[in-house]
Amino acid sequence: MPAPTQAMCTSFKVELMQALHNFNNPAGNTFNLALFADAATTAAGFGAATTNFSEMGGSEASGTGYTSGGAALTSVSPTSSGTTAFTDFADLTFSTVTLTSSGALIYNVTNGNRAVAVLNFGGDRSATAGDFVIQFPTADASNAIIRLT
Amino acid sequence: MFGSESGVEVNSVKILTTNGRGLTPEEVATLCVDRIISVSDTAPEPMRQQALAYKENIRQVLIHYMAMAAAGERTTLINKLAESGYEQAANILKEI
Repeated sequence: MPAPTQAMCTSFKVELMQALHNFNNPAGNTFNLALFADAATTAAGFGAATTNFSEMGGSEASGTGYTSGGAALTSVSPTSSGTTAFTDFADLTFSTVTLTSSGALIYNVTNGNRAVAVLNFGGDRSATAGDFVIQFPTADASNAIIRLT
Repeated sequence: MFGSESGVEVNSVKILTTNGRGLTPEEVATLCVDRIISVSDTAPEPMRQQALAYKENIRQVLIHYMAMAAAGERTTLINKLAESGYEQAANILKEI
């Protein structure tokens, strides 16, 4: 089975135009990050076509210290630089976990668990009774995690 | 309105994992400074080296204060454990 394909979910692009995603902090939606299982366990097809967290099913990571659904992200209100708008999240730590993951799904908990983006970690990554840290890229027009150019 | 060359893009994340321990002050400081300062690979070399040197200076300052915060929290925990009669647990923490 392949690892998830990194992509902005197509449904998210449509839903942006429907005002279904609000990244403001405060007064915005709650977004979670859920971890995929290792590449061998994750089903094929996760990527641009992913529409909802509910599709993860058995492809979600499991292990000591990890709760299904992942954890809430701390949004940074959207801003712009030049002609690029972007948003950001604070780094996320799953503490004292034992698991292996090949990627992650960012999704909107407030609005029906709608998928935002699928992330690929570039290979299976493991933590054993330790921390699993997702470091988001620098929040600028060239590197931010989500950018509208 | 979006122009013909507009797009919605998602960037990659970095992953840091540990086994049998939490993050060290050095690791936390590196995570922190990476969020504060980004140096372009295509910046003019003298400027790039200057920016990288500045970034490393900030990282060293962060390491110092992160270590101070971690040590301070351990001191508080050691005292709380000792006050509650858990001398053995307090001694284990002292040795970290």
